[in-house]
Amino acid sequence: MIRMWQVHSVLAMVLLLGTGPLVAAPMMVTKKVEMRQALDDLTLAAANHDMQLVKVQPIDSALVKRGYEDPHVRIAFVGSETTVRWAEAADPRLLNLLPLRLSLVQRGDSIVIIADDLEPWKQEFKDSPGLLLLEALEIEVKALLQDFARQ
Amino acid sequence: MHKKWMWIFAVWLIGFSALVQAQPEPALLTKKLPGKTMEQVVQALKGAIANHNYTFVREQSIDSRLVPADWEAKSVYIVYFCNFAKMHQALAIDVRAAQFLPCRVTLIESKDGIDMTVVNPAWVSESLGNPLLHIDCLQLKADYLSIMDEVAL
Repeated sequence: MIRMWQVHSVLAMVLLLGTGPLVAAPMMVTKKVEMRQALDDLTLAAANHDMQLVKVQPIDSALVKRGYEDPHVRIAFVGSETTVRWAEAADPRLLNLLPLRLSLVQRGDSIVIIADDLEPWKQEFKDSPGLLLLEALEIEVKALLQDFARQ
Repeated sequence: MHKKWMWIFAVWLIGFSALVQAQPEPALLTKKLPGKTMEQVVQALKGAIANHNYTFVREQSIDSRLVPADWEAKSVYIVYFCNFAKMHQALAIDVRAAQFLPCRVTLIESKDGIDMTVVNPAWVSESLGNPLLHIDCLQLKADYLSIMDEVAL
């Protein structure tokens, strides 16, 4: 039986959460593919956009090896020398974003790739020469993800 | 009675988290290390990471694998580390925690020494809209600050 204090609690929770910041819409794409093939496809998609797959962090196997449940997540880092030099020249604080991080999440027989949300970065660097780099990166990452989905 | 207190605690926790979210977080956490060399800072950082119960994962230059090894920049380094239990917990709460895992510190050589910076996980989680994950991110931020303080000693 639901009591009044429980109803009030839930209402208070909803009101409090309603005052929080807007939830960002991440750049993401889903494809029916296995993890290994997804990494191959991602490597090709990155190359098509003058980027390289720098490193894959197999979080899933690292956790399983230590006795934890498999989160079915891997992190891929992609980058390009041009982007690094651009960040160094425009605003070195943006080096913290590089190489770009892509999360590969296995959901059933599909892989979801989620890219870092650049919108908060654009807000933060709106008065910086680095804004142009962020805008260019956003376009490139979106194109890269679409390319991955098409392959 | 026990259930009632659990409910009240859960509401308080989430409500508190939402209020904390209302405070703007800085995007980057920065520590200037005047007079230090890159090698000194990397060594000190590895020690501080271990002292805080984290595991060193790897270090690399910012352009590693983007240019031939001999050409890699010596002036910008990245150090990765993690705590597997915390990583597991964060991913169990929200898989988007992968956006700030593993932990990453960027070291940038300047004319005065080394600038040590990290992306503030609490700033990242503000835009993810998950109060439970935000609590973990605040703890991770505290860990980062503590590690950076130790390196600065």
